[in-house]
Amino acid sequence: MSASDKHTTHFGYQEVPVDEKASRVAHVFDSVAARYDIMNDLMSMGIHRLWKRLTIERASVRPGHSVLDIAGGTGDLTAKFSRMVGPRGRVVLADINASMLRVGRDKLLDNGISGNVEYVQANAECLPFPDNTFDCITIAFGLRNVTDKDAALRSMTRVLKPGGRLLVLEFSKPGNPLFSKAYDEYSFRLLPKIGELVASDADSYRYLAESIRMHPDQETLKAMMEDAGLERVEYTNLTGGIVALHRGIKL
Amino acid sequence: MTLSPTLLLAGLERTLNALLARDPAAPSRLARLTGQRILLRLEQPALALAIHFHPGGLDLIRPDLTDETAFAEEGFDAVVELDAETLGELLGGASVERLMFQGKLAVRGRTHLLETTRDLLLDLDLDWEAELARWLGDIPAHSLAEGLRSLSRWGLRTRQELCADVGEYVFEEARLLPGRHQFEAMRDHLTEVEIATDRLEARLERLRRRLAAPETTP
Repeated sequence: MSASDKHTTHFGYQEVPVDEKASRVAHVFDSVAARYDIMNDLMSMGIHRLWKRLTIERASVRPGHSVLDIAGGTGDLTAKFSRMVGPRGRVVLADINASMLRVGRDKLLDNGISGNVEYVQANAECLPFPDNTFDCITIAFGLRNVTDKDAALRSMTRVLKPGGRLLVLEFSKPGNPLFSKAYDEYSFRLLPKIGELVASDADSYRYLAESIRMHPDQETLKAMMEDAGLERVEYTNLTGGIVALHRGIKL
Repeated sequence: MTLSPTLLLAGLERTLNALLARDPAAPSRLARLTGQRILLRLEQPALALAIHFHPGGLDLIRPDLTDETAFAEEGFDAVVELDAETLGELLGGASVERLMFQGKLAVRGRTHLLETTRDLLLDLDLDWEAELARWLGDIPAHSLAEGLRSLSRWGLRTRQELCADVGEYVFEEARLLPGRHQFEAMRDHLTEVEIATDRLEARLERLRRRLAAPETTP
């Protein structure tokens, strides 16, 4: 990697200065926050609920556990975790984006979920928690938008308790070439159209499709998690590899 | 596919929660169960299901079979081990104690949870008239419900009358089949005939022996 490369990173297919990526991602999410849930349902045809459900199943969270939901967005995972950890446990919903966090907090409060949920605006690269704090950390569709993914994975490993687990639910690379072709057509042609019609924001959804393509594939992410100090890292491909669920344990 | 069991479970959970939400008695029962966790383990086929109760219903979660910490029993208030047949019997209303004494069902932890759960799910009494009223308004819903009720009463009555009429025609008028009384009288006669033939047979046998006896004596 040359010296000049170190100062830029990808934002979708564009190269942008490292300092700028966070604010550009923030702009994307500021613009989609209000319609985030409905767009998720539309774009994934509702399957994202199943992906998240499987993540919850694999989290093996028990009453009394503390759970950190990074990039928790509008709080889909937090709502269920809050019930599972019970009054003795706690769930921290963290997001770097204030708009998303506000939408999430309002939604959870409107659904009567409170008491064991905390809201923290934090950057995944430098989490503001002491070492060995959480039994389980989840990051669902968030790692892709982090500027320095290795730093984020190291930071998450640091705040995990020994024996705790990190679950990364993220878009990945479909295995079947034919399916991959259809998926490309869908995400580069149809997706920005849907974005334009429903959220009147084609650019943000074009960024979504591009950032998915720039995200490391299953094996690369697995290696990155191992480099960050996690062990027994394994992944499950979901919906033909459009999404992969990685799980690593801190020993 | 990895997601199919998840989809089935999500569907089941939604259905149960929707049904529970329409049962006026469910909230107080759920309040007693809130925060409890039950692990259901099926031996054949090997399946596990964790049930978490919350005030709005229940969460069904499939613990990861490859993950030993997901099965740690201290995380659950009751662990139930059974096979598919016993599950059927249990849902059919068989008593928990009887199944436990027969050795078909193993429950560790708070055993009464299992019974309370079964009662919660089997005693669902949907207030469907209130649900209709939400869609149609009170008065149309009530008249519709009354109509349905009288229709079902009429259906029941018609079925009973039809059975009685057909029975009367077949047994009494057309005499196509014997009635129960006739059948029993007939059976009594047959039994008498059977006993009489047995006696006759025995008598004949004795006569035969007596006829054969003088020839053999010197």
